[in-house]
Amino acid sequence: MEAGRRSLARALRHAGARALRRGAGNNPTTCARPVFGAASGSRAARAALVGALVLAALAPAAEAQKAQWSDAVYVPGRWTAGRFVAAPTSNGNTDALALVMRVDYFTKAPRLRMEVRRSADGQTFGAPQVLLGNGADVQVVTAVGATPLARHALNNDTLVRAALAAASGGRLQGAANGRLVERLGDGSVGRVVFRRSVRSPAFEDAMLDPRNASAGRQFLSRSIASVGDQRSTAVVATAGARGVDRIQTPHGSVPVTPDSLAITRMEAFPVSAMTLEEFLRQGALGPYAVRGDSTGGHQ
Amino acid sequence: MSALNRAGRVASVLLAAVLFAGVARPAAAQTIGDRLGRIVGGAARIVRTMLPISTDKEVEIGRGIAATIAGRYPLVQDSALTLYVNLVGLTVAGESPRPDITYRFAVLETPDVNAFAAPGGYIFVTRGALGLMENEAELAGVLAHEVGHVNRRHVIEGLRKSDMMQSIRDESGLTGTTLDRAVGQGANAIFSGYSREDESEADSLGVEYAAGAGYDPQGLPTFVAHLNRHAGEGPVAELFATHEAPDARLARLARIVARDSLRGGVTLPERFAAQLHPSAAAPAAPAPQAKPATPARPPARVIPQPTRRRKPKPPGE
Repeated sequence: MEAGRRSLARALRHAGARALRRGAGNNPTTCARPVFGAASGSRAARAALVGALVLAALAPAAEAQKAQWSDAVYVPGRWTAGRFVAAPTSNGNTDALALVMRVDYFTKAPRLRMEVRRSADGQTFGAPQVLLGNGADVQVVTAVGATPLARHALNNDTLVRAALAAASGGRLQGAANGRLVERLGDGSVGRVVFRRSVRSPAFEDAMLDPRNASAGRQFLSRSIASVGDQRSTAVVATAGARGVDRIQTPHGSVPVTPDSLAITRMEAFPVSAMTLEEFLRQGALGPYAVRGDSTGGHQ
Repeated sequence: MSALNRAGRVASVLLAAVLFAGVARPAAAQTIGDRLGRIVGGAARIVRTMLPISTDKEVEIGRGIAATIAGRYPLVQDSALTLYVNLVGLTVAGESPRPDITYRFAVLETPDVNAFAAPGGYIFVTRGALGLMENEAELAGVLAHEVGHVNRRHVIEGLRKSDMMQSIRDESGLTGTTLDRAVGQGANAIFSGYSREDESEADSLGVEYAAGAGYDPQGLPTFVAHLNRHAGEGPVAELFATHEAPDARLARLARIVARDSLRGGVTLPERFAAQLHPSAAAPAAPAPQAKPATPARPPARVIPQPTRRRKPKPPGE
C-alpha cells in the first residue's frame, strides 16, 4: 500500500514534469514571447503537479491513524505436562508465569481487529479467533459469518475481555511497549502482558471492515496475520510458478534447474508460535527487551 | 480491495489532469489526432505502472523466483540450523508492517557469501555468509535487510515498471509464459543486483527492524565490515559486484544509525555460536544475554567449504 502510494506519487510527479517540459519545449517562442496557449499549458501542468503533491501529502496523513501491536499474555502459574497449574502471587516481578494467549491488534479508531490465539497445553496456540469492533459493538468472525460477541462464548472469557479493554474504542490503552502488570481487585497479579507495537503499520483497511466478515472463511484465510504455526497455506496452495532455467549474474548467464520441491519443503517447515515466543523471551528480544515495567489497573 | 478502489480513483484524477494538460497545450504543428494519441498513450503507460499486483500474485511470482534460487544453490538440510534462522528471521520480520506476508527462511549450501529475498517472503542466506558472522545481531541485520526488500516490494515494483507489463491489461494476464517471464525478470534482478536506491532503503529498514526487535543496530554494519576484510576473495565476488562498495555502505549505515539515534540491543554471540558450531559450544541451554562489554569471538572465522554441490559451477561464473 505504502509502496503503491509512493510509486503513484512518483508517477504523478513525472507526469507533471513531462507536461511542464512539453509546454515549454514545443514552442520555440515561449522564452522570448509567451503566448496564451503555452502559458495555459504550463499552468495546467503546474496545477497537475500541485494536485499530485497535495495527493501525496494527504495520503500519509490518512494512514497515520493506524496502530498495530501484539500482546503476549502470561498469568501466574506453570504449564505442567500440558496442564496449567495456577500460582497466585502479588509479586509483580514474578517469573513464575505461563504463556496462555497471544493477541494481535490492528486498529484505526474507532475500528478494531483482534486476532486471539489461546493455548490449551502450553505447547501450541490454537487457531486464531478474529474479533472486529466498530467502536459500538464487537463481532466474532467465524468461517460461516459473524456473531455479536455478547452472544458468543468468548464473551465469558475474562482474558479476552481484558484484552479487548486494552484496545477500547480502537485505541491502544496503556504503554506501547514493554512489560505491563495488571492486578486483580485483591491486589494479586491478574496477568502480565509483554507488548510490542509496530512502528509503521501498513495493513489493509479491508482487514477492519465488518462487511467483509460475511465472506467468512475466505476473509479469515486471506487476512490472518502469519504467526509461527498459524502460517497461512491458502496462498501457496495455488502458487504454481515453476521458476526459470537460466539466470543472469554479474559474471554471465548461468543455467539452473528450478527446485520447486525445495520451496514446498521450505513452506512446510514447522515453526511453532510458542517456540518463537520462547526464543524471544530467552534472547530478551521484542516485547521482552528490558524497558522497565508498567503497572496496569485492576482487571 | 480498498487499495484497488483507491488506485482507481486516483488514476481517474491523474487521467483527467493529464488530458487537461495535454489539450490545453498550444496549437502547434500537430493534428488533434496525433496529440490525443500521444496523450492517451502516455496516460495508459502511467496508469499501467499503477496497476496493483496483489499479494497472491506477488507470492506466486516469488515462489517461482525462490525455486530458481533453490535451483542454483541447494537448501541446507539441517533442521536445527533452519529453525534457528527462521526464528531470527521471524523476530525481525515481526517489526515489519506487512501482516499479509508469511515469511520463510532457509540456508543455502554454498561458500558464496550472499543473501536473497524473493517476493512474497522467501528469504535465503548462504552458509558462506553465516560463516562470516560472529553473532546473532549480524544475522538479524542481514535478514532484516532482506525483509526490507520484500516489504518495499522492490522486485515487484521493478516488474510493474517494466515493458512486460505494457503487454497485459492487469495482473490476471500474469499467467503461463507471461508469468514465467516475470519470474525470469525477477530472478535476474535479484542475481544481478538491486538499484542503489533499493539497497539503500533495504539497509535503512534492516537497521530499523533489527533495532526494533531488540538487536544491536550495529549488526548489519559489522557484517558489512567483515565483507570489507574479505574483499577480493572468490566467495564475496558476486556480492561485491551487486552491492555498493563496503566503505561507502558503511558510511551510509553509520549515518542511518546516527539519524535514528539507535543504540543498545543484544548481540547474542553465544547463542549464535551454539547454533553455528554446536559441537564446539557449551552444553548449557541458550539463555537470555545482554550485550557483553567484550563480545566473545569464535576461535577462528573461516569461510566454510560446501559439503556438497548439486552440480559443478558452470564456466564463466
